[in-house]
Amino acid sequence: MDISRIRALRGPNLWSRFTVIEAVVTSTDADLNSLPPIEFAARMNALCPGIGTPDAMPDNTSAAPHLLGWATLRLQQLAGCPVRFWQAKPTSEPGVCRIVVEYSEESVGRLALDSATLLFDAARDAGSFDASKAIAALNELDEDIRLGPSTGSIVQAAIERGIPYRRLTQGSLVQFGWGIYQRRIQAAEIDSTSAIAESIAQDKELSKTLLDSVGVPVPNGRSVTDFEEAWTVMQSLNAPVVVKPRDGNQGKGVTVDVETREELEAAWAAASDISSDIIVERYLAGDDYRLLIVGRKLIAAARRDPPLVIGDGEHSVAELVEAVNSDPLRGDGHATPLTRIRFDAIALARLAAQGMTAESIPERGCRVILRNNANLSTGGTATDVTDEVHPQVAARAIEAAHMVGLDVCGVDVVCRNIAEPLEDQGGGIVEVNAAPGLRMHLAPSFGKPRPLGEAIIDTLFPDGQNGRIPTVAVTGTNGKTTTVRLITHLLAQSGLTVGMTNTDGVFVGNQQTDSGDCSGPKSARSVLLHPDAQAAVFEVARGGLLREGLGFDRCEVGIITNIGQGDHIGLNFIESAEDVAAIKSVVARNVSTTGVAVLNANDPLCVAMADDCPGAVTFFGDDAHHPVIAAHRAKGQRVVFIDGDAIVAAQGNASWCFALADIPLTRGGHIGFQIANAMAAIAAAWALKMDWTVLRRGLASFVSDAGSAPGRFNVFEWRGATIIADYGHNPDAIQALVDAVAALPAQRRSVVISGAGDRRDEDLRRQTQILGDAFDDVILYQDAAQRGRSDGEVIALLREGLADARRTRRIDEIRGEFIAIDLALERLRPGDLSLILVDQVQDALEHIAGRIAHA
Amino acid sequence: MQSPGDIRILEIRTLRGPNRWTYRPVIEALVDIGELEDYPSNLLPGFPERLGSWLPGLVEHRCSYGERGGFLRRLADGTWPGHILEHVTLELQTLAGLPTGFGKARETSKRGVYKVVVRAWHEDVARAALQEARLLMLAAIEDRSYDVAATVRSLRRMVDRLCLGPSTGCIVDAADDRDIPTIRLNDGNLVQLGYGANQRRIWTAETDRTSAIAESISRDKDLTKQLLAPVGVPVPEGEYVRSAAQARQTAESIGYPVVVKPYDGNHGRGVFTNLVNGDEVEAAYAVALDEGSGVIVERFIQGSEHRLLVVAGKLVAAARGDLAFVTGDGHSSIEQLIDRQLNADPRRGSTEDTPLNPVRLDSASRLELGRQGLTAESVLAIGREVLIQRNGNVAIDCTADVHPSTAALASLAARTIGLDIAGIDLVAEDISRPLAEQRGAIVEVNAGPGLLMHLRPAEGQAQPVGAAIVDHLFPAGESGRIPVVGVTGSRHTTAIALMVANLATQLGHRVASATTAGLTLDGRLVQRGDCANYESGRKTLLNRSIDFAVIENRARAIAEDGLAYDRCLIGVVTSLDPSETLDDLWIETTEGMYGVLRSQVDVVLSEGTAILNGDDEQVAEMASLSDGEVIFYGRDPSATAVAAHLAKGGRAVFPRGHHVILASGNTETVLPSLLTASTDLDVLLPAAAVGWSLAMSPEVLRTSLEAPVLQTPARHSAIARTTSAMSA
Repeated sequence: MDISRIRALRGPNLWSRFTVIEAVVTSTDADLNSLPPIEFAARMNALCPGIGTPDAMPDNTSAAPHLLGWATLRLQQLAGCPVRFWQAKPTSEPGVCRIVVEYSEESVGRLALDSATLLFDAARDAGSFDASKAIAALNELDEDIRLGPSTGSIVQAAIERGIPYRRLTQGSLVQFGWGIYQRRIQAAEIDSTSAIAESIAQDKELSKTLLDSVGVPVPNGRSVTDFEEAWTVMQSLNAPVVVKPRDGNQGKGVTVDVETREELEAAWAAASDISSDIIVERYLAGDDYRLLIVGRKLIAAARRDPPLVIGDGEHSVAELVEAVNSDPLRGDGHATPLTRIRFDAIALARLAAQGMTAESIPERGCRVILRNNANLSTGGTATDVTDEVHPQVAARAIEAAHMVGLDVCGVDVVCRNIAEPLEDQGGGIVEVNAAPGLRMHLAPSFGKPRPLGEAIIDTLFPDGQNGRIPTVAVTGTNGKTTTVRLITHLLAQSGLTVGMTNTDGVFVGNQQTDSGDCSGPKSARSVLLHPDAQAAVFEVARGGLLREGLGFDRCEVGIITNIGQGDHIGLNFIESAEDVAAIKSVVARNVSTTGVAVLNANDPLCVAMADDCPGAVTFFGDDAHHPVIAAHRAKGQRVVFIDGDAIVAAQGNASWCFALADIPLTRGGHIGFQIANAMAAIAAAWALKMDWTVLRRGLASFVSDAGSAPGRFNVFEWRGATIIADYGHNPDAIQALVDAVAALPAQRRSVVISGAGDRRDEDLRRQTQILGDAFDDVILYQDAAQRGRSDGEVIALLREGLADARRTRRIDEIRGEFIAIDLALERLRPGDLSLILVDQVQDALEHIAGRIAHA
Repeated sequence: MQSPGDIRILEIRTLRGPNRWTYRPVIEALVDIGELEDYPSNLLPGFPERLGSWLPGLVEHRCSYGERGGFLRRLADGTWPGHILEHVTLELQTLAGLPTGFGKARETSKRGVYKVVVRAWHEDVARAALQEARLLMLAAIEDRSYDVAATVRSLRRMVDRLCLGPSTGCIVDAADDRDIPTIRLNDGNLVQLGYGANQRRIWTAETDRTSAIAESISRDKDLTKQLLAPVGVPVPEGEYVRSAAQARQTAESIGYPVVVKPYDGNHGRGVFTNLVNGDEVEAAYAVALDEGSGVIVERFIQGSEHRLLVVAGKLVAAARGDLAFVTGDGHSSIEQLIDRQLNADPRRGSTEDTPLNPVRLDSASRLELGRQGLTAESVLAIGREVLIQRNGNVAIDCTADVHPSTAALASLAARTIGLDIAGIDLVAEDISRPLAEQRGAIVEVNAGPGLLMHLRPAEGQAQPVGAAIVDHLFPAGESGRIPVVGVTGSRHTTAIALMVANLATQLGHRVASATTAGLTLDGRLVQRGDCANYESGRKTLLNRSIDFAVIENRARAIAEDGLAYDRCLIGVVTSLDPSETLDDLWIETTEGMYGVLRSQVDVVLSEGTAILNGDDEQVAEMASLSDGEVIFYGRDPSATAVAAHLAKGGRAVFPRGHHVILASGNTETVLPSLLTASTDLDVLLPAAAVGWSLAMSPEVLRTSLEAPVLQTPARHSAIARTTSAMSA
């Protein structure tokens, strides 16, 4: 069995909406070692208990990839990954199968495929496989890289609100929303929280002073730098004190309830280890509470108890701790609701302070506290008390967060009873924390979990906003780039800064931010990341879609211009126009439920996509009476069609008319494929609720020339003749060009053409077959990239296509694009027409423009 | 000579807010010059000359004669130690870097005892300067030596330690220029601009809009590049490397020249630029690794370092790095040339005051020299120029030269990272041309950028960066203020303040009041007892929830501490009781008391209103001190002052029968039947005037004035606490 071309499809893809690992698996009958699939599966189960057997098993030839895919999925599931989609699909090549398995973390998915391969090999060769080690490795990797529970809860809330998200790092930095609406979080920190507020929160004394000045009860005291000063402060407070380092964290070096000079000396020593600046303040008696404030609301509250054991009169403290720690709910990390009690030097010291050792046997019911602080990470517990918080306590906590300036704030309160005002019980706020841990509220040891993620997302995206900018994805065989440019132009006319990706680059507003073929997902993502983008229009080409999936989870408008006979057939397991349609339909399938798929009614493969679209469909086509258009309209749906010399957009009885004469792109309605592009763009603008007046103005002002749309039906005048340069390079495109050129009057017609080596023989021949019936002269040239073909091979195929040409009288074969162009230009007489199918678009256009300038 | 007497400083107090002397904080010292009262300066042989030579800057003091040299002339003619102490203190502060400001010396009723008042930029510095001024004077009188330079050094150290840094300082100054109040919140550079709910905060060049997440992104250079590249900001492509061999390999795949630098380095330590081969890369790797944070190899961008300061998406300043060359003279070594040609430049030094650092041969420049076959000891031929330092301090202003497309990219970079204020480090050959055509790149985005290079460039024009930051925080038309009503006078002030607080609450404000009845924040009494003082007044202004403050000021509080606010919208003065004086503060006369109370009218904003008791002749006289409007109130509209005011079209409030009349010139609005037998006109009339000046409609005003005033709010009562207050 050979596994090749492993890809991670990181967005919606040919197979599903999930992120998947895709691999091409070539297998032979020998792969199962002559075992029936069901027995082979049993062997795999013996090696890896729990892997199970897929519901249906295919015949022997594709059983190996099938079992491999299944194992890849199951291993992830056994490691705790929330995945369920998988598929093993044979290709037209015998023995070659594609397997597709969902992943939640790419590297875990890849590792699962590796492990599954090892498992498979072990089953085949009667070898060994350490299943628990493999699963543990997957689990560990997953824990390592997946979002932590705090961040995860926020992301989950965003997903439920339909807000797109993207991790920016391996860590907890996550971006929500697109373009100008983007927001970021880092763990429980949000992007509007200022560094100043965090610095204030970090400085306990400063925050206490600020809180005190606005009437929030805080423990009095101050910071000191020498012991005698500490003693003075303690005496002046005339109450038990807390001693803590000024810039400490996690309760390190903190001693509470210090009452005597001896105790102060010990506490001083502990704090001095951490910092030379030490705070001595009034000790507030009572329990530790954490109040979580988001925006100006109390979202959750928990009482935090230090790790403790309760005596039974029989067991030693050490045994009691062990008993508590044996609870499966207690783990070592943050993944379990409780953490094991750490029985270390600090715990022993705390025991000693109570006159006990590890071996002491506490009396029945005696609470033995093992640590002074109540952090969950050292074995403390958290009990949800959200519903008990007295409104005035909540008000003080909110005031505290607001004064410091934190949007998401953990307020630490100490008091005897959270259900009573702080002022009545001598309680107070001891600290405010930026980026508070959420775990104690999401998964409290006791009591109800609280929906913090929702609250944080509501703060980032108030009033039900979903953080999305309008997005239009355009795919199809021909017309993509022009349609993308036209829609971008229309959106820009309505005052938006539009991000556009196409085969010429990435553009945001007036700036080009990247160049080259940018019709893939990476470019789409770069637009969605751009802080200025208010709308986005993407050209979606087959290559990126196959390689990585879409660059976005869904779009508002998905356009499929046409499929026709398809392009690129014969590459990457694309065998037919239907296969091309399956790929392009990914765009239609991932239109949002509130969005619109714009489909070509004249193209049956496009029409079929309507069923897969979760949103509405707008059909466009040549004729109001086309059955698809007529039926759709009768159902009260939107249609766009040609009526005489106008494009009509209609829904029910309402209709809007756009005279072709007012759409220069169509050259007065003469260029059929540009009319189709204009119809698709009108449908998209309609879906985006664009103002009709703006739309008309935009259609009228859109210019498609060599400057704005290079290689898209660029028309030049040369010594009284007409030259048309176009990048068309598949039979459909060439047919459309022939139709368009036919409408232009001309005496003698010539065409300059080359072929791309990676196309099928029949597609290359077909191109010249079409041209041979429409042009008098054909100049064949061999272009720069032969893409795997031998010298002269492509030209020969093109010549074959001209064998039965009805019109062509003269054929030239030329090496070099410019020479071919020059030859065509030389022969032109006034009234003639030449169609030049350019290959090196930019260079060729410049060459033509240069010749014309010197004419 | 033995001094005829000592100068004894009996006590010093700090007036932290506007006071009877000036709008600004001052220290007020009570000084007893004893026998020296009989020795004006002209009778102390050599003293004026010694003082003048020790402190040559005194020539700039224009006092007495209103011209340069005025004070020195006065010194020669004869003046007394109190007055001299004032000037010497001011001059010492000036030398310490705190510009000369306000000063005053006044006799008290006791012979030889003076009040010396000096502007206090910082309380501790002013006190120290005063003490030193005394010692200096005594030394000058007695013709002993005195080390002026040592004193200035020690004061300067205090200034550096205690005062706002230059970056924060320029923002605070810009706020001051726009009349936006500022309150320093800690001993560092944390400053509140504006009051209450309209406040903003800054901490050096960070604002309360500077996102903490954005800052942490900007600290991660790799992540910064990862975010910038996709949106079209040119960055040097590079990679994190884990070994010398990998460093070499990466350099080869990027293409030479390359840069090797620590992942998280600062201040150019361990940074090697323009490395042209693998051996250099490996050598540099070893050094960069020592910085401890990992090593990055990236494309070397040809050109000079630039720092572009972006505030709120706009480029506001740009500075270029300082390239340092030496030129051979045929006999000096490179090291000597550096000292002679470069480090002799007075702009070079190690303190914050010098815009350029001294040039030293560090590892990078030694490498650079080595490549040219040179060492520090090499002697250069006459006229041969050698580059010593490629990127020194970025200190040469080039704001006007930045190409607009580059400014747009800098803005995009700042916004992509999410910073409202960012220092963009950019390398380019020529900042006036687009980056793309010269393959320039943005190499770093810095949060909380230093502003000094733009404030004090070594060459070129200083840029108004503080103003840009203030304009970002407070768009045109916003002052950051909330309405502040100050109430002072001998009587009725508490009742008036509470009634005004009540009116403001009726208007929907979240009101704070600091009165003798306590401190109330948005309806909650947080402190009982006398809160008509500076501390409590401040608390109302610090509170981010409060959008209306009413502050009662007792005369003693103003005299002891100054007012809690710099300016106010409405200042109310009720009366000046001739029997009331503050003898322990040496305010022993009615004129003295007038001086104290008038502060309340002095600080009324031009768009504000002074509300004065027209029945009290002295109070009425304060009308002329108000920058804003004046509304009189009183029982008798025919009282001279009120009648004259009305005649000029001014506004006044007075009773007529059971009605209260709001009179504006000869137009009257009647608040009908508001008065009952129990109405206290001394409270109701000024409160009505406040409501009127707040543009409350007569109907609302009348209803509100009838609403019961809660002396002790019914809501939960709080414990009084005595914790230390804010550092001022």
